[in-house]
Amino acid sequence: MSQESGWLTKILPFPPCELGNPKALNKGYKRFSRGLCAILTILVLIPPIIISALSHNQYQQLLEAEELDQLVLNLEVAQSAIEAFVGELKSVVKFIGSSDCYKKLLNPKDLEKVLLRMQKEYPGVVDIQVIESDGMQKAYAGPYELQRHDYRNQRWYKEVLERGVYISHIFSGFRNVPHFVIAVSRNATPEEEKCVLRVTINASTLQDFVDTIDSGYADDMFMVDSKHVAQTEPQKYGVLGGPCVLHDKHASEGESSQDYMSKNDVILIDSPGVAVFQKIFDGQRINHVVADLLNTPWKLVMVKERYLYANTWMLFKIRLVIIFLSCTIVACFVIVEISHALTNHIRVLNKKRQQLYSEAEHTDKLASIGRLAAGVAHEINNPLAIINQKAGLVEDLMEFSDDFPNKAIIVENVGGIQSSVERCKTITHRLLGFARQNDVVTEEIDVNSTLREVVEFLAKEATYNQIKIEFNLCDSVKKIWSSRGPLQQVFLNIINNAIDAIGNGGDIILSSKQINETTLQVTIVDDGPGMPAEVLPHIFEPFFTTKETGKGTGLGLSITYGLVQKLGGSIKVKSKLGKGTIFRIALPVRHSESERFNSKL
Amino acid sequence: MINSKVLVIDDEVEFASTLCQRLKLRGIVAFDVHSGSEGLVSLVKMNPGIVILDLKMPDMSGLDVLTKIKEYDPTIEVIMLTGHGSTGSGLEAKEKGAFDCIMKPVDLAELVAKMKTADEKRSKV
Repeated sequence: MSQESGWLTKILPFPPCELGNPKALNKGYKRFSRGLCAILTILVLIPPIIISALSHNQYQQLLEAEELDQLVLNLEVAQSAIEAFVGELKSVVKFIGSSDCYKKLLNPKDLEKVLLRMQKEYPGVVDIQVIESDGMQKAYAGPYELQRHDYRNQRWYKEVLERGVYISHIFSGFRNVPHFVIAVSRNATPEEEKCVLRVTINASTLQDFVDTIDSGYADDMFMVDSKHVAQTEPQKYGVLGGPCVLHDKHASEGESSQDYMSKNDVILIDSPGVAVFQKIFDGQRINHVVADLLNTPWKLVMVKERYLYANTWMLFKIRLVIIFLSCTIVACFVIVEISHALTNHIRVLNKKRQQLYSEAEHTDKLASIGRLAAGVAHEINNPLAIINQKAGLVEDLMEFSDDFPNKAIIVENVGGIQSSVERCKTITHRLLGFARQNDVVTEEIDVNSTLREVVEFLAKEATYNQIKIEFNLCDSVKKIWSSRGPLQQVFLNIINNAIDAIGNGGDIILSSKQINETTLQVTIVDDGPGMPAEVLPHIFEPFFTTKETGKGTGLGLSITYGLVQKLGGSIKVKSKLGKGTIFRIALPVRHSESERFNSKL
Repeated sequence: MINSKVLVIDDEVEFASTLCQRLKLRGIVAFDVHSGSEGLVSLVKMNPGIVILDLKMPDMSGLDVLTKIKEYDPTIEVIMLTGHGSTGSGLEAKEKGAFDCIMKPVDLAELVAKMKTADEKRSKV
């Protein structure tokens, strides 16, 4: 087992099981407990951590993707709207330019009427210029005094001739009012009727339109030109006519949306015409989009400052943290408790095991002593027999011989030798009984008759000592399944002890009773001197005796105790000085061990 | 009075000889030998009626000697001397034909009583 758990024991050392000094023992157990805690905590916390992290990340990604989609969607809507609007303006100018009557266009009064008609629909229209193919202004309707101008070499003029349409950036015109220009070239069949129509429109028109399409989704939405100059009023990220603050001042002027990127930006989407950047601006993370507005010289910039679903996200995070923390706390608490309980349990078990081991050792020791004693007894028997016989011989010879000096003393001493041998005989026989390997038969035994048998055996000694033995036996007690020999020995030992205790003149009462279905009780009461309280706990110990030296072996009750245990019963004693002693022996009617008594012994 | 001759077989020399002396003082004809094989030889020579036989002997086990004695002459009564104190060997000896058992150290009066009974049994046969 230690092989398999080799790696585990490095992390989690097994708690100490040997007896050691208490401090080291405590330390060992503490270490085990802590190790267990640590391992379990790590094990238990890893799944929630992983899952929390995963769900956090996944959800975040989901939300961000949602964000982006929403942004792009809103952008596209705005994009189409603005493109349509500008297209609309362009169409109007084109339509005017394509009207049949060229002469009307050149007539200032008619041009004035056209202007007024336009202004009815589009109040932002400022003026109209008609420029001939030679580049010279031919007609003008509007508030300003425009000199005849030669636009032939101007870039926009060349462009309008090339492309047929030209839209300008927003610039401050006269009186510092920002406006822009839409110019269309009129392709008429007669060469003279070819001209360019130039309409100036107040920038507020654009602004108003952008304001109407502002859904409130974006935190800021405005248009910029190729120089990053805001064409409409941003709410936060720049000023009208000023550079967009989102883009590097030194960023190159260009067509590609990439050029609008500052360093440290993260490009989220980069497709032709649309670029989405993520950056940190003023400590806040924002997404902003730069998208081409087709057929216009402008780009649309939309800014989204924080998560659309900021509240949902916050709620999710709070919930996640709460759940995770509570899991962790509960887990830690439970783990600590379990570790302690487990360690304690192990500790208790170890202690018990240690106790059982000690007991077994003790029993083993006793058994060894028993065997040793038996060996000694056996060895001694032979010389004892010799001493006995020789003393007997001397005694015999003394009988036949006449008196001689010291004969009486010799006879007396020989008698002393013999009685000493008798003593030795009792001791050796008892010792042999202690380790006796008996053939024991388990049979149905009548306890009452066994008691009577034993008393008969002791009857002579009892009467000799004027001790009365009474019977108070219950006739209806069951027969028990037990072993005769050991049972007899048990009763014999106790009654013998009672007789010894009483000494001279007393009563012994033997009673039997059926306590319950499975148990029988035999009580032996004597009115002897009793035993003091400090002696009682020791009476069943081997070699413990209160008799004078030489009078008792101290083995009787310990053998009795062992025999009663083997019979599956129990023996209890009560005693009071001056009152007497009661022995209570409980015996099972049927004892599963009794069948195995043979092999056990 | 015991009429039969008594043979004591025990490897403890002191014990056997002292026992025989004491028996002689009581008017019993007793001989002692100190091994099983010697004992079997003496059966023929002495023709005893009662044998006091020790259970544990170095050259032959008491039970084997018992069996041989009974084979030789079933009427010979054998009293086993046991030092074990084990009822088992006693029972076994009785099964093999021993008349009785007695434990060491031996109480002479008890032994003589048993011998008397054995002798009576023999005279009835």
